Amino acid sequence: MSSDTSKTENTKAKNTEEQNKEKAKENTIELKNVTKRFGKDVAVDNLSLGVEKGTLTMLIGPSGCGKTTTMKMINRLVQLDEGEIKLNGTSVYDIDPVQLRRTIGYVIQEIGLFPHFTVFDNIATVPRLLKWDENKIKKRVEEVLDMVTLDSSYAYRYPLQLSGGEKQRVGLARALGADPEVLLMDEPFGAIDPINRLKLHDSFLEIQDEIKKTIVFVTHDINEAIKLGDKIAIIKDGKLVQHADSTEILYNPANQFVESLLGQDRSLKALTLKRTKDFTSKENVFTVDKDTSQDNVLKQLQKKNEVIAFVLDKNEKLVGRYWLETGKKGKVEINYDKNPIMTEQNNTLNESLSNMFSSGEQILPVVNRRGKFLGVIRLSYIFDEFNK
Amino acid sequence: MNLFQYVSENFNNILGLFVEHFFLFLVSLIVTTIIGVTLSIIATDEGREKVGQVILSITGAAQAVPSIAVIALVFIYVGIGKFPAIISLIIYSLVPVMFNATSGILSVPKGVIEAGKGMGLTKKQILWKLKIPIAIPVIMGGIRSAATIIIGTAVIASVIGGGGLGDLVFTGLKLNRPEALIAGAASSAILAIIIDRILAYVEKIITPKGLKVEQ
Ligand SMILES: Nc1ncnc2c1ncn2[C@@H]1O[C@H](COP(=O)(O)OP(=O)(O)OP(=O)(O)O)[C@@H](O)[C@H]1O
Ligand SMILES: [Mg+2]
Repeated sequence: MSSDTSKTENTKAKNTEEQNKEKAKENTIELKNVTKRFGKDVAVDNLSLGVEKGTLTMLIGPSGCGKTTTMKMINRLVQLDEGEIKLNGTSVYDIDPVQLRRTIGYVIQEIGLFPHFTVFDNIATVPRLLKWDENKIKKRVEEVLDMVTLDSSYAYRYPLQLSGGEKQRVGLARALGADPEVLLMDEPFGAIDPINRLKLHDSFLEIQDEIKKTIVFVTHDINEAIKLGDKIAIIKDGKLVQHADSTEILYNPANQFVESLLGQDRSLKALTLKRTKDFTSKENVFTVDKDTSQDNVLKQLQKKNEVIAFVLDKNEKLVGRYWLETGKKGKVEINYDKNPIMTEQNNTLNESLSNMFSSGEQILPVVNRRGKFLGVIRLSYIFDEFNK
Repeated sequence: MNLFQYVSENFNNILGLFVEHFFLFLVSLIVTTIIGVTLSIIATDEGREKVGQVILSITGAAQAVPSIAVIALVFIYVGIGKFPAIISLIIYSLVPVMFNATSGILSVPKGVIEAGKGMGLTKKQILWKLKIPIAIPVIMGGIRSAATIIIGTAVIASVIGGGGLGDLVFTGLKLNRPEALIAGAASSAILAIIIDRILAYVEKIITPKGLKVEQ
C-alpha cells in the first residue's frame, strides 16, 4: 500500500517537471493527472497530456485502454474523478458543458449523421445553435463541403443517399461547421475500406495543413498514427506510456510494449515518416494540354526524346497519360490511358512504393486531393531514401 | 327483413350510434397517445434505457391479454357507463402506443444521439430535433394500431354502457336480428378503414423526407 502511494507521487513529480518545461509553449489542451473510474475499474489512470496549438495528437493503444474515455472527458461527455482539464488555460468545468461542446468539433466512428437532415442541415447544426446569420451559414457550408472535396450539389442530399466515404467526409465537414479551434476525432476513419481510408487520410492532411486545428485523434492503427500525427500518445491500461513525435517513437520506443505496437518491419515503417510530396519533382516531366492532338503529342515527345506525356486540363487536373512504345518492327506507337495510376501528395513513401509495385510503373504522377498535377515521384528517389 | 331495408329504416339511429362511436374513439385515441408517448419519452430518457427495456417486455406480453378481460376489470373496479368504457379503451390501447413509441425511441442509433450531445444540443433539442422525428414512423405505427384496436374494442365496451355501434351488435345478438348485427359490425369496420387511411396520410406528411429517400 505505502509503496503504491510513493510510486504515484513519483509519477506526479515527474509529470509536473515535464509540464514546467512545456509551459513556455502554452498548450491549447492540457490534461493534468486525470483519473476516471467506472465503479472499481480504473479506465484512465493519472494521465497527463498537453496538446500544442495547431497540432494533431494521436491517441493509440489496445481496445479498452481508455482512449475514448480520455477524449470524452475533454468535452465533458464523461465526468472526470480526479485531475484537471484545461482548454486555453480555462478549466472545462468553468464552462457550461453545452456551450463548451459547441466550440469543439466532434467526430465519432459511427459518424452519427442526422438521417432526417440534409447534408446542409447537418453541417449547419452548430452554426444554427450559435445563431449565425443564414447567409453566413450558407457560405460556410459551401466552404467546408469544398474543403472535403464534395461539390455543392451534395448539400441537398440526405445521409441515406451517400456512400460510406462520402458520409465520413460530411461528418468531418459537420465537425468543422462552426470553425472550432479544437477537434476531437474518435476513430473517424475506422469503419471504412482501406482504399477510401487512404484517400481520406490524404484529404485530411491537406485540410489540416490549411486550417491548422488543434486535434485529438483516437486510432487503433499504428500506421495511421504515424502517418497523421504530429505527436503520438501511446496508452496502456489507462496510463500514458509514451508521448512523442513519430520519429522519436519509431527510433526510441520507450519500452517493449511500444516496440510490439510498432511491429516487425521497422525499416519499412521509417518510409511512412516521409511524404510523397517531399520527393516530388517536375524535372524532366513533360505535360500537354488536353486539347493537344495525338499526332502533335507524338511529334513533341520524339523531338524531346521523352516517352511519357501527362495530360492536364485547364485547371491542371491530371486527366490522362500518353506513352510511347516501340513495336515489333521498330515502329514507335503512341498509347493513351485515360485513367492513369497516380499517387497523392500526402501518401507516405511506403504507400507510393506499393502503388508502384502493384502497377509495375517506375514513375508515378503525384496529385493533390482535387486531382491537381504536382509532378512525379520516381522509384529511384525512394531507393535513394531507403539506402540512407 | 333484409339488411338494406333495415339500414334505410333505421338510418338516423345508426348514424347517431356511428357518431357516438367516433367520439368514443377520438377521445380515447387522443388521451392514449398523449399518455403513452409521454410515458415512453420519460422511460427512454438518457440513463433510463433499462426502464424502457422493461416497458418493452411488459407491453410485448400485454398484447396477448384479451380486450374483454380489461373491460371486465374496469367494470369491477370503476363501474358502468361512458367513463369506464373510455377508461378501458385507453388502458387497452396504451399497449401498442407505448410498445411502438418506446421501441422507436430506443432504436434511434446511438451514434446519432452521441453526436448530437457532443455537438452541444441540449437534452430538449436531442428529444425534439433528433429522437422524436427519427422515431416518428414507428410511433405512428403504434398510434395506427391503437386506432384500429379502439374502434373494434369500443364495440365490446358497449356491454358496460359505452354506447356506440356495439349497441347495434348486441341488440342484434339478443333479439336474434342478424341485420342489426351486421349493420353494426360493418359500420365499425368502415370507420376503422377511414380512420386508418387518414392516419396513414398524416404519417406520410409528418415523416421526415430524409427517412424515406431511396438508398
Ligand atoms: N460508461 C461506461 N461504464 C462502465 N465502464 C465503461 C464505460 N465506458 C468505458 N468503460 C470501460 O472503461 C475502459 C476504457 O474504455 P474506453 O472506451 O475508453 O476504451 P478505448 O480505448 O476507447 O477502447 P476501444 O479501442 O475499444 O474503443 C474499458 O474497460 C471500458 O469497458
Ligand atoms: Mg474507443
